[in-house]
Amino acid sequence: MSELETYRQTARAFLNAMAPKYARPARQGNTVEQDLALGREYMAARYDAGFAGINWSPEFGGQGLSNLHKIAFDAEEMRYGMPVGFFGISLGMPVPMMIHYGQDREFVKERVTKALRGEEIWCQLFSEPSGGSDLAALRTKVEPDGNGWRMNGQKVWTSWAQYADYGVIVTRSDPTVAKHKGLTYFWVDMKAAGVEVRPIKLAGGDSHVNEVFFDDVRLEDNQRMGEVGGGFGLALHTLMIERYIATDSAGFGPHLDLFVKLAKETQLNGRPAIEDGRIRSAIARNHAMRAGLDSITQRAMLMMQAGMQPGPEGSLQKLVAVRSRQKLSELALDLQGTAALPFDQHAYVKEDWGTSWLNAPTGRIAGGSDEVLLNTIAEKVLGLPQDYRPDKGIPFNQIPA
Amino acid sequence: MSMLYDEGQQAIATESRRVLDARMDKGRLLALLEQVGGIDQPFWDTAVEQGWTALALPEEHGGLGLGLTELGLVAQAAGAATSGAPFLTVGYGAAQALLAAGHTGDLAALAGGEKLATVAFAEGSAPLPAKSVVSFADGKLNGTKPAVIGGLKADLAVVLASTNGTPVLVAADLTDVTRTAVPSFDNSRLYADLVFNGTPAVQLAEGAAALGLARDVLARMAVVTAHEQVGGAEALLNIARDYALTRKAFGQPIGAFQSIKHRIAELYGLIEVARANCIHAAASEGTEEFLIAAADARLSATEAYDTASRDCVQIHGGIGVTWDQGLHLHMRRARSLGIEQGNLLFWEDLLVDQLAGEAA
Ligand SMILES: Cc1cc2nc3c(=O)[nH]c(=O)nc-3n(C[C@H](O)[C@H](O)[C@H](O)COP(=O)(O)OP(=O)(O)OC[C@H]3O[C@@H](n4cnc5c(N)ncnc54)[C@H](O)[C@@H]3O)c2cc1C
Repeated sequence: MSELETYRQTARAFLNAMAPKYARPARQGNTVEQDLALGREYMAARYDAGFAGINWSPEFGGQGLSNLHKIAFDAEEMRYGMPVGFFGISLGMPVPMMIHYGQDREFVKERVTKALRGEEIWCQLFSEPSGGSDLAALRTKVEPDGNGWRMNGQKVWTSWAQYADYGVIVTRSDPTVAKHKGLTYFWVDMKAAGVEVRPIKLAGGDSHVNEVFFDDVRLEDNQRMGEVGGGFGLALHTLMIERYIATDSAGFGPHLDLFVKLAKETQLNGRPAIEDGRIRSAIARNHAMRAGLDSITQRAMLMMQAGMQPGPEGSLQKLVAVRSRQKLSELALDLQGTAALPFDQHAYVKEDWGTSWLNAPTGRIAGGSDEVLLNTIAEKVLGLPQDYRPDKGIPFNQIPA
Repeated sequence: MSMLYDEGQQAIATESRRVLDARMDKGRLLALLEQVGGIDQPFWDTAVEQGWTALALPEEHGGLGLGLTELGLVAQAAGAATSGAPFLTVGYGAAQALLAAGHTGDLAALAGGEKLATVAFAEGSAPLPAKSVVSFADGKLNGTKPAVIGGLKADLAVVLASTNGTPVLVAADLTDVTRTAVPSFDNSRLYADLVFNGTPAVQLAEGAAALGLARDVLARMAVVTAHEQVGGAEALLNIARDYALTRKAFGQPIGAFQSIKHRIAELYGLIEVARANCIHAAASEGTEEFLIAAADARLSATEAYDTASRDCVQIHGGIGVTWDQGLHLHMRRARSLGIEQGNLLFWEDLLVDQLAGEAA
């Protein structure tokens, strides 16, 4: 058995032991606060068992293992529905950025450990009302204030900000240069004076994203990450860190097996729907597509194991999978007719077609919209030209609003 | 078998592409479209010379002892070049059927390219008819197999026939068979109706075993064809990308318009999904997963190639629909390959039967 396979089995043993207390069935009916408390407990147990910061350096409480080990663990953990959602962004991007760029190394170490144990949560404050895809259009500004900075402005769509202790943030430090040149990156204390968080209720009924307002918030210069004016580069770095994540060809919705089961159980024109050509076609096409994504993932894993760099086709996962999840969920509802009308907003999106359908649009927007991902593939992978950008090269304060 | 190509496999991929790039000629291929019964002889000579006919046959029968992965890589190169002869795939399929039935007399001649073989399974909308209209009795075939791939030139064929309503798989020498050419939109495929009239044939398998073997052979050929489709689709993607970078409209390259660049990016997605399925299918040759993997490869590759030919023509505007520009070579090939080795409808049904546990 390969070393990685052995690792997978150890992980499974740990997860099996944790499951009765923390997995999806145990969470049924929890309020968000109860779930968060349970999540913190699980994170601490996971830390103690040596499954936290798997591919991070031991210097920062990590395990010093490979990206493959991390992906293997994540893929196993995903099957259980553990209460880890609150910590995904925190450990996915902001904390690794602190490890890279945090100035006060002792402070960083302390934060990393607490974040890995689920005691502290970090959020990512990038998007603003003035632009999400167009990150460099942001307006939250910092001005020199003695030996530090003063920050004013607003962020939006900040996941888990209401539970966050800290955040990483991109701000405008110089409005007189081209828009992506005048940005500076900081970490911010979410409990500091002048920070106000207001949850936003999403279409699916939950409120995990927020508006965050900054009113004369004081930042010390040692909260700066990277150079003054280097914020855009750090923002790009932040978005690159998440390359090594477990993928899900079901687009984080229900597995195709559940659709096949539904089609066998549902009658259509007096016959099982699985005998209906339209349903069969949908199943077959989805299977072919998902199998392709799974093979892309498997090959990427093999390449990493062989010390090679996986190809750019990995960037297709979210684009292809979430779109298809959205359509398949629609079809699953359509297939059931009025039987699809009873709805439980708390049903698990990986098991329920209703919540999968209603929450699918967020997956096509968050973390890069479909259109932006297509642009990235076209430009970065295929070498096609950039879009026409009328604001290119113009000082930020001269771009017409 | 691993899903990562090893050095030898990568060499096969580069070398086959290099050879075909150097020797293929669009003018020759275009001329073939307007005649019935011709193949691109330089392509087929290259295939034989390079040992592609021997590639996936066992060494004891004059082959090179390699498998679907290697043949798939050659097929991918052939697909990119819209190669002008169908025998890489159907010759391989026939040889696999003969091999499985232990009927190995002709294999060395097939490996060496001295003989051409094909597979005669399909009848119209039924890629794998359980009750063939061609009958087999007393060692003789009677009836007509319509539009057999390579039927105009093949020396022998593996035929799915029936004996009193029971499927049988037989091998027949085609020397004395009447062949009626089927003029088509892709003539170098050499489609012909084979009219059997007391044609002597040897039984390879009978009943469920015959259908099972025919299905396995069809799945193998579908995987080879899927590679060929991916090769064709990828060639079109590159052509579309290059054109989008150079052709200008409204003061900018058309590739800067999102309806063009996103279309090309979507093609990339379809092709990579199909490629990954092909690699997986070839690597699972001989395992329980093979049939499902073959169906996945086939479905995604057909979608990729059809879509690529549709979109690549569109991206070219008027020049895209001209004879000489030749994009229609791919458009025609996308459809002929889509029909050969089982259409989408067939593979969708087969896949769902497998998934729903209703497989035969
Ligand atoms: C559930 C959820 C959680 C999120 N969490 C966070 C978070 O934690 N931190 C954070 O900073 N942000 C977060 N976001 C914000 C997310 O990154 C943005 O919503 C996203 O980048 C899109 O930006 P936007 O909402 O401003 O839409 P816009 O950028 O205004 O886009 C509107 C539409 O225009 C299209 N569009 C934009 N630019 C182009 C282009 N160049 N070409 C073609 N089409 C284009 C988009 O594709 C979209 O369809 C979250 C969003 C969601 C939905």
